[in-house]
Amino acid sequence: MNLLWKLLREHISLSQLVGFFVSNLIGTVIILLTIQVYADIRPIFKSGDSFLGDNYIIVSKRVTAVGTLLGGDLSFSGDEIEELEEADFTTSVGSFTSSKFGAYISLRMPDTGQGISSDIFFESVPNEYIDVKSRKWRFDAEDGRIPIIMPRNYLNLYNFGFSQSQGLPAVSEGIISKINLDVYLSGNGHNDKFKANIIGFSDRLNTILAPEEFMTWANSRYSDEPASPPTRLVLAVNNPTDEAIVKLFDERGYVVENNKLDDGKIAYFMRMVIYAVLSIGLFISALSLYILMLSIFLLLEKNSKKLENLTLIGYSVAQISRPYRRLTSMINLSIFALAMVVVYILRHIYIGIINTLYPEAVLPSMLTTLLVGGALVAVIIIFNNFIILRKVKSIRR
Amino acid sequence: MKQIKLLNALPEVFVQREDICSDVWLKDLCFERGSHYLIEAASGVGKSSLCSFIYGNRGDYRGEILFDDKDISRFSEREWITLRNSNLSMLFQDLRLFSELTAMENVRLKNDLTHFKGSASIVALFEELSIADKMDIPVAKLSFGQQQRVAFIRSLCQPYNFIFLDEPISHLDSANSAIIADIVMREATEQGASIIATSIGQSLSLPYDYTLKL
Repeated sequence: MNLLWKLLREHISLSQLVGFFVSNLIGTVIILLTIQVYADIRPIFKSGDSFLGDNYIIVSKRVTAVGTLLGGDLSFSGDEIEELEEADFTTSVGSFTSSKFGAYISLRMPDTGQGISSDIFFESVPNEYIDVKSRKWRFDAEDGRIPIIMPRNYLNLYNFGFSQSQGLPAVSEGIISKINLDVYLSGNGHNDKFKANIIGFSDRLNTILAPEEFMTWANSRYSDEPASPPTRLVLAVNNPTDEAIVKLFDERGYVVENNKLDDGKIAYFMRMVIYAVLSIGLFISALSLYILMLSIFLLLEKNSKKLENLTLIGYSVAQISRPYRRLTSMINLSIFALAMVVVYILRHIYIGIINTLYPEAVLPSMLTTLLVGGALVAVIIIFNNFIILRKVKSIRR
Repeated sequence: MKQIKLLNALPEVFVQREDICSDVWLKDLCFERGSHYLIEAASGVGKSSLCSFIYGNRGDYRGEILFDDKDISRFSEREWITLRNSNLSMLFQDLRLFSELTAMENVRLKNDLTHFKGSASIVALFEELSIADKMDIPVAKLSFGQQQRVAFIRSLCQPYNFIFLDEPISHLDSANSAIIADIVMREATEQGASIIATSIGQSLSLPYDYTLKL
């Protein structure tokens, strides 16, 4: 046995170390499990709609029977937009721009030659609200290709309603994204044909969305009407669950489209719960680390005469502190390894529940947890080493 | 290291004293490598303080102590560790052995650092000092005289230019004292080192070049 270890292990309190091991294991498991659960359930709430962040909401005015009969205005005035911009919960407001020209779309299946065609409309929002790689979300009049984002409902309507009744094949999102659509635009004496591509489907944007630059260009070419005030707004907010939003919207008769605010709320609450649980885990871990440090400090104090004598016969602070640093590092690494095993087992249990509730969910690996946990244990080990070195330095003569 | 100089040095606790009459304190003194010194002292005149100052574990003195003209009060931890493993050896008056380790383990603890002596030569020293049968016994169970010999063997397990022996034979009979004198003379000569021994009465019998009164 290493003589230094034989000398310095005296006074090590097994019960204190076991206490630390168990409490830190609990803390670490809570931290790692929280991270893993968050990584596992996040895609379920975010699935399918990456075009609009959680903190964006789409606002329009409530359509009422009275309003319809009296020809009520559904557009937002400058004052109303200003009020929303100045509200505490808002970070920015963007307007939907509608097309003021005639548009006609034609879609033909490559294999069968069958197709559908329809009058359509376009809308746009400022590009900053759309989370699509800029390369795809661009319009150039010379190129003549229009990227569009469709509501997912439209595809469902086609697949489960229209195609069934007409004997047409159902199409997946992947296939339809590869099909070229013919778009005919007309107005103001112009009549042109364009190609369009569906670059994605959205659950939250209940419109056919085209890039802002297309809308500006097309409205000026195919229409000589002045720009009309927007009927829909997109709001970036700090916290979609803010009660002030509900209060103001109720007072003004505004509605949040699709009621998709709920997803944002769930995601927000989920984040809050995750932060709370994570904080508890971190608190337990920090507390147990504090106990470990106290235990080691006590040990060093009890062995201070030995540390002094070791220094006098020529041992350096680094050499003297090495057994203690090795001990704490081994304990912390063991805790991390054991915590990963526990998380793996617990995940095995809850993943069954997720799979039953969301069979289509694609769950991520445990890599994030492994990396975060690894980084955490590395920081703890470095911190422990530093503290022990400093303490030994202060004790030796 | 060739020289240890004391320039007007005095322990802080003696600053108020006016009756200092010493060959060491408040003098300019130089220990030269290769010469041997005996420092004779009565109790309470700072003998162990002198050893502690020179060995770097205490710094409560006035004046200057220089190793080869370098002020030791400015040495870093690293420099002291190097000095204690390759230039200075010390047989402490209070021995500073580890009571839970055996006699041999105490010696090995030092030799593991320096790798200066082979196992055979360590065993030979135990035999020469008549404590070979005590090698594997915890130091706590040895008499002070036996412990003194174990600490002496430990002090030989390193290269040095100066070896300090603080009352090395205070608990030894004359036969063992003579053996220690023989061994330390032999080993110091091999290394071309100085022996600096202290005594409050019975002193180690060596051909000293200088005898100083503390």
